[in-house]
Amino acid sequence: MDYKYIEQLLDRYFEAETTLKEEQILKAFFEQSDEEMPENLRQYKPLFAALEQDETLGDDFDARLLEMTEEKMQVKAHVISLSDRMRPLMRAAAVVAILLTLSTALNQSFKEEKVWADESDYALRYEPTGNEPAMAYDQPGDSVKSDSLYKPTGYLE
Amino acid sequence: MKKISFRTDVLPLKNELFRLALRITLNREDAEDVVQETMIRVWNRRDQWEQIESIEAFCTTICRNLALDKTKRASNQDASLDNEGHDAPDHSYSANPEEQAVQRDRVERVRRLMDLLPEKQRTCMQLRDVEGKSYKEIATVMDISEQQVKVNIFRARQTIKQEYLKQEKYGL
Repeated sequence: MDYKYIEQLLDRYFEAETTLKEEQILKAFFEQSDEEMPENLRQYKPLFAALEQDETLGDDFDARLLEMTEEKMQVKAHVISLSDRMRPLMRAAAVVAILLTLSTALNQSFKEEKVWADESDYALRYEPTGNEPAMAYDQPGDSVKSDSLYKPTGYLE
Repeated sequence: MKKISFRTDVLPLKNELFRLALRITLNREDAEDVVQETMIRVWNRRDQWEQIESIEAFCTTICRNLALDKTKRASNQDASLDNEGHDAPDHSYSANPEEQAVQRDRVERVRRLMDLLPEKQRTCMQLRDVEGKSYKEIATVMDISEQQVKVNIFRARQTIKQEYLKQEKYGL
């Protein structure tokens, strides 16, 4: 096997001139059995083996992190969606309540205004005739009797 | 732009982040804390995920900064190097157990040399040679120029090579 290419790559590696792909080739080369590797290359084997790191974090780390983040969020999201679901209802109820209050208040004041307006109108146009039922009612005795009292006077004239 | 999910885009970065944090803090527990803190921070900024160009670079940057903070706070430069978990994968197919042990010992020595590099060189080398990242990605994460990344990688590789060969030659 011709090791010239590998030797070249190795030189360029130490000059920081290799590409990622070339570095992969070097790593793969030094992973193979060192039996057939020439001594001048074999000495670099540990340098590349040291780059194969397999330190990892266990599944318990994932579980813990998910509990702190997404799962916590899901519980929170549930609460939010519940109140979200209630919100339109509450809004509608509030609008209805406001409308009801407003219409009642308006109705009330409108009616009162009308009553007062009518009364003042009535008071302005009022000219006593002496024939008002209220006055008749105010007079002692019944209306029939008072009528009979008036009528003879007419005849007398 | 692709929708980012914590479970499928952020959480799977844990081992890569862990190794980086481990190279910086040189302590497994600290490194695990750093990764956890990194992920929580990234999670808390989930409203900004859509604007982030690379969630991986974003996570790596936070992880490195937190690891640096931790190291600074502990200032445990003199503390013994925690080599637990540095067990070399056995790439030696030699049938000879003695030879295997020697090989493992050599790999261990290289890792110790890497741990002794200045942090910038160590991080550059970790991201490039272990995690296979481009100069551009590393430059983004470390907030330095690509040229500086290259210089750091050059120095790191040169130091490791020279120190390792020196040890081999004189037998340490």
